[in-house]
Amino acid sequence: MTDVPVSRIRNFSIIAHIDHGKSTLADRMLQLTGTVAQRKMKEQFLDNMDLERERGITIKLQAARMNYTASDGQQYVLNLIDTPGHVDFSYEVSRSLAACEGALLVVDASQGVEAQTLANVYLALENDLEIIPVLNKIDLPGAEPERVAQEIEDVVGLDCSNIIKASAKEGIGVKEILEAIVHLIPPPQNTIDEPLRALIFDSYYDAYRGVIVYFRVMDGKVRKGDRVRLMASDKEYEIDELGVLSPHQIQVEELHAGEVGYLAAAIKTVEDARVGDTITLANNPAAEPLPGYTEAKPMVFCGLFPTDSDQYADLKDALEKLKLNDAALSYDPETSSAMGFGFRCGFLGLLHMEIVQERLEREYNLDLITTAPSVVYRVTLIDGEVVEIDNPSQLPPPQQRIKIEEPYIKVEMITPETYVGALMDLCQTRRGVFIDMKYFTQSRTSLVYELPLAEVVTDFFDQLKSRSRGYASMEYQLIGYRENDLVKLDILVNKEPVDALSTIVHRDKAYHVGRALTEKLKELIPRHQFKVPIQATIGSKVIASEHIPALRKDVLAKCYGGDISRKKKLLQKQAKGKKRMKAIGTVDVPQEAFMAVLKLEQ
Amino acid sequence: MIFFPAKLANFSQQIVPVAAYLHIPFCRRRCYYCDFPITVLGERAPTNISPLVVDYVEALCREIEITSASRQSLTTIFFGGGTPSLLPLPLLERILKTIENHFGIAPEAEISMEMDPGTFNREQLQGYVGVGINRVSLGIQAFQDELLQICGRSHSRKDIFAAIELIYRVGVTNFSLDLISGLPNQTIEQWESSLEQAIAIAPHQISCYDLVLEPVTAFGKQYQPGKKPLPTDEDTAEMYGLAHKMLTGAGYEHYEVSNYARSGYQCRHNRVYWENKPYYGFGMGATSYVNGKRFTRPRTRREYYTWIEEGGVIKEPEVSATDFLLESLMLGLRLAEGVSLEQIRQQFGAGVVEQIWICLQPYYRQGWVEILGRDRQTIKFESNNCCITSAERLRLTTPEGFLFSNTILATLFEKLG
Repeated sequence: MTDVPVSRIRNFSIIAHIDHGKSTLADRMLQLTGTVAQRKMKEQFLDNMDLERERGITIKLQAARMNYTASDGQQYVLNLIDTPGHVDFSYEVSRSLAACEGALLVVDASQGVEAQTLANVYLALENDLEIIPVLNKIDLPGAEPERVAQEIEDVVGLDCSNIIKASAKEGIGVKEILEAIVHLIPPPQNTIDEPLRALIFDSYYDAYRGVIVYFRVMDGKVRKGDRVRLMASDKEYEIDELGVLSPHQIQVEELHAGEVGYLAAAIKTVEDARVGDTITLANNPAAEPLPGYTEAKPMVFCGLFPTDSDQYADLKDALEKLKLNDAALSYDPETSSAMGFGFRCGFLGLLHMEIVQERLEREYNLDLITTAPSVVYRVTLIDGEVVEIDNPSQLPPPQQRIKIEEPYIKVEMITPETYVGALMDLCQTRRGVFIDMKYFTQSRTSLVYELPLAEVVTDFFDQLKSRSRGYASMEYQLIGYRENDLVKLDILVNKEPVDALSTIVHRDKAYHVGRALTEKLKELIPRHQFKVPIQATIGSKVIASEHIPALRKDVLAKCYGGDISRKKKLLQKQAKGKKRMKAIGTVDVPQEAFMAVLKLEQ
Repeated sequence: MIFFPAKLANFSQQIVPVAAYLHIPFCRRRCYYCDFPITVLGERAPTNISPLVVDYVEALCREIEITSASRQSLTTIFFGGGTPSLLPLPLLERILKTIENHFGIAPEAEISMEMDPGTFNREQLQGYVGVGINRVSLGIQAFQDELLQICGRSHSRKDIFAAIELIYRVGVTNFSLDLISGLPNQTIEQWESSLEQAIAIAPHQISCYDLVLEPVTAFGKQYQPGKKPLPTDEDTAEMYGLAHKMLTGAGYEHYEVSNYARSGYQCRHNRVYWENKPYYGFGMGATSYVNGKRFTRPRTRREYYTWIEEGGVIKEPEVSATDFLLESLMLGLRLAEGVSLEQIRQQFGAGVVEQIWICLQPYYRQGWVEILGRDRQTIKFESNNCCITSAERLRLTTPEGFLFSNTILATLFEKLG
């Protein structure tokens, strides 16, 4: 790795909606600059986790340093800092953008601007980034470059007269993009002589080397062996390994202002090197940390319980390991009368929650039962004390509280005009407050609502997609707490209260939710040898009830001419299903039932 | 999961099969509930022997000949289908000769054949009996023409009585009737009437099968279990209870989940399956259990022929010890007499019996499970003062335990598997 002057460094990220071709474009740039040899190329180099490849989304950030000889004959270093593509990780996105001077805005020429893209563009503009618009997939028959370019001008307010038309898949326009990066994105400021300040934009845990920290040097320089201090966590470490990402890690001796790299310093958990923290030198610290650090706070909580209580220790172990690599994940032991011992876990959002659950089941081989997600309620007690409740079953009884407040978010949806009505209807049923509607083009209308977060963490996103036939996209941010008339809805299965099914709802919707929930549970809980009543109650008042009729027979009449394999398979399936159920008293309740509240037809 | 000592590898492989199932896949048409491997010949009775059938019997005999045999002759042979009664006499004779030459047939062997009303005449039946068929299983399914039509059966109520008359005239010494409950539009009254008529015919055995909806059948695609026009679970459970009450009242013993027989007339061949003993299987889609390996043959004729041409190799792994235990329980608990705990204790150890007993506690309290002592009397477990170690047999109660046998078995699979 040759030393490179600050003036010839370009740091950029790519802003794009899912499927608009970000990863493919990154792949092409790596190829064209000779960073990754053709033969080593696997599709979507930057998406490392299986889960990411399967879903086509980026969860963990990556970075890549490319050497590029531009048309002016000069050699440049281009650092691509990838951003995660989901609203749950918007804080990480903001830190990645803060590490860049510019960004490519990649828009599918046959689709147009989506809400998430827009949110990230605004974030980039706030960070004073130079934005280069790119139309991708122009080779597709449905491409409408003029329309989409106009749309970007109208919606984002960018000058698109020189918009680059590209097809990452076909390699069209990639060269132009690289030239634009060199010529349009400003170089970093030369602050090599100032005390070291480096911005952490990602980190992950490595079992052998400890936490690997990805950072951008904003000021000064850092050398291998330096003793560094992390200003927010106030911890000091000696750098064992320093390097750049090419995109594979390559060790170097020194990095200076403008450069992007990684370090390893025997840091034990990612919590000690959080995204947004500032690295400085222990013996010559900077006066001020870099701005913008916040601790990512979990917004959504749920209970995780092992189906088999023997797996409690394994679950604890797995959460500990995940936590090493995921500072935003929180977990505390929880005991439920219905579910036994488990953990109350906090997540940034629904996707984060799903990812953690899936990794626990896939990578750690655990059978889990997840309770419906809940938000954090703020409850003011009669003695004036304010408590935060992230578990509906812990809500203090009415006589002990003065008020309940719940988190609100501002949601921006972008949708074709046709579905505006359907989406407004969705927001109304979710207690939404209409704020604004902007008409950009026929295919792009922006709809802004304020909604209780609790109404969004259920199936809001699915509903948004289904009511707009997949066309609408959304983005949200937390805007604060508001007082509402909320009540706790309890569920009794076979006369026994099931704390894991308790939920907090608005009084006006309680009756409806109670009815829908009991009906859904009737569908999901299998028949037993006895009649199973299911009731929804508020306090001691039953507001809805159903019953599951008794099972009358469960027998297979025939074994086919000695072919016992079918019956055996059937029994094995039945046995497996049983294993994944939780016994509530004498009633076996399947896993899906605990998520039933998410699946109510609204 | 339970772990067994390594020496307890397999038990069935030391025993040589003395039972054989032969699959005769031909049918006039496919019944709407059936997903068996069959070949449809068409409604018209053929004037000549179909070359299709000749070729098949050729392959079947070839398969018998390339199967390694022991010195033990067969004690039960079962022609199932399909509709074996579509088999021309000379071809049946050819198959039986091949078996006789290759394995030998014991003098008192039970040789059963499934037959459909309307597919045979007196001469044919006499011929069958003449070459050795001594047990007939007549698939009548229902006595009501409208129900037979709904099922897509190729015979009518009239054909049933004609077939019964032939069976009596020819003097078949052991015959059985098949009935199906839970058919679309079937009422409890119709079922009761079918049972009355079956009793009046006085066969040696009556099988009552509760309809199973198989996904790839016409029924499976059209209907949802327990939903109209199918009877509700409550109604089919009542039909099951009614069959038990009426047939046991008429002197039949409810000896298996779906089977009733007069004393001494239980189907010996089917008991081989339920006792988890080995058996040969021949023909397309037929299953065998030989040398501890369960194997199902290719389900189409073409693939079956190819398989024989390639030497009829059975590559399946041997049934593991755990599977052997689960299969013994799954099959054995279909019989009214249940399974021998003494045998399980010898094969798997007393700990396994203990575990089984723990799994079955709730069902014992429910009255679905019984434990018998060495004196064949039921043992009462009032508290913990009585010990399972002295118990000899485990069985499901008839009919309540039978009705919930899947629930009970699934628990055993869950805890022991």
